[in-house]
Amino acid sequence: MRIVRSLKVWKLGTVNYLQALKLQDKLVSDRKAHKITDTLLALQHPPTYTLGKRRTDHNLLVSEDDLRSIGAELHYTQRGGDITFHGPHQAVLYPIISLRDLGLGARKYVEKLELTMIELASLYGVKARAGERGETGVWVGDRKIGAIGVRISSAITSHGLAFNIDPDLNYFKHIVPCGIAEKDVTSLRKEINMVLPNEELIQDQLISCFANVFGFSDIVWKNNSSLADS
Amino acid sequence: MASRLWASRAASYLRISVFNRGFASVVKDLKYADSHEWVKVEGKSAVVGITDHAQDHLGDVVYVELPEVGASVTQGGSFGAVESVKATSDINSPVSGKVVEVNEELSNSPGLVNASPYENGWIIKVEMENADELNSLMDSDQYSKFCEEEDAKH
Repeated sequence: MRIVRSLKVWKLGTVNYLQALKLQDKLVSDRKAHKITDTLLALQHPPTYTLGKRRTDHNLLVSEDDLRSIGAELHYTQRGGDITFHGPHQAVLYPIISLRDLGLGARKYVEKLELTMIELASLYGVKARAGERGETGVWVGDRKIGAIGVRISSAITSHGLAFNIDPDLNYFKHIVPCGIAEKDVTSLRKEINMVLPNEELIQDQLISCFANVFGFSDIVWKNNSSLADS
Repeated sequence: MASRLWASRAASYLRISVFNRGFASVVKDLKYADSHEWVKVEGKSAVVGITDHAQDHLGDVVYVELPEVGASVTQGGSFGAVESVKATSDINSPVSGKVVEVNEELSNSPGLVNASPYENGWIIKVEMENADELNSLMDSDQYSKFCEEEDAKH
């Protein structure tokens, strides 16, 4: 008998980074206590730079004041990975799922996150690939289209992935993205050089790719979720 | 086939058991938590690390966050983290007590956790508060079985 895996998807629109972090902390805690089942947050952030647990701020090329003057925030987090940028037109997914229930370790989990973005790119004819050893992420040639930074606590995940649909790539000039110099950042828009369909459609496709890769066959949508009702 | 025979002979000599299917090693005489940490009891002290199964599932460890010496740890509570493949994973203590030593080598060579999970990749030494806690941990045979069941899931 095949287990039906259920995923609750919250489509949150544009959310401030700290608010999203607070929500994730609560959901992780609820998931650990078995109060909720596997959950996926789908959202975008206003211009935000974030650092991981290793605090690699040598990869921030400008001062925090400079960032503020361009209307961006900076946050230090507990996730893995290096410095990155989140902003409008970049699809972000934060899965809050139990790796134990799925029988996955960190490495396999991250590989599936990469596969999720690779599958989405392929829907648009873009041939993306997972990074080489030590270069976790999704690449088109030598250009990075998708980033990953994850936290795993008692086998429950938080943070996740960010896929560049059509963000303003100039924002990446203020950092050494993911600590890898000499490699460019790209977006779906840049790779296909065509008018993209409605962004919400692309985000829904990303969610479907995720569900497909992770074997969630039952998806429950929580549309237009307000952060207040959790 | 011949190499598997050699491997199991070498394994019994070294007192480690080798899975029939996988290759993750398990060391006898250690106790194991279901979050894949091991503990080696030395009198009132306990040495703690993560298992071969854990390091294999994590990927290349690039960073280990260690607690301060003197910090308290509780059984099942998180005391540090490792980073691999852009994922930080909490490490939980199999026993309660006080941290008396941390493996400083891991700051320079986090890869020791992968290369030598039961020896040079040890993470902390704890002065145990309550040796009875060891009874709730698994022995090597139970842990081997636990890993097999986990890996069969996907």
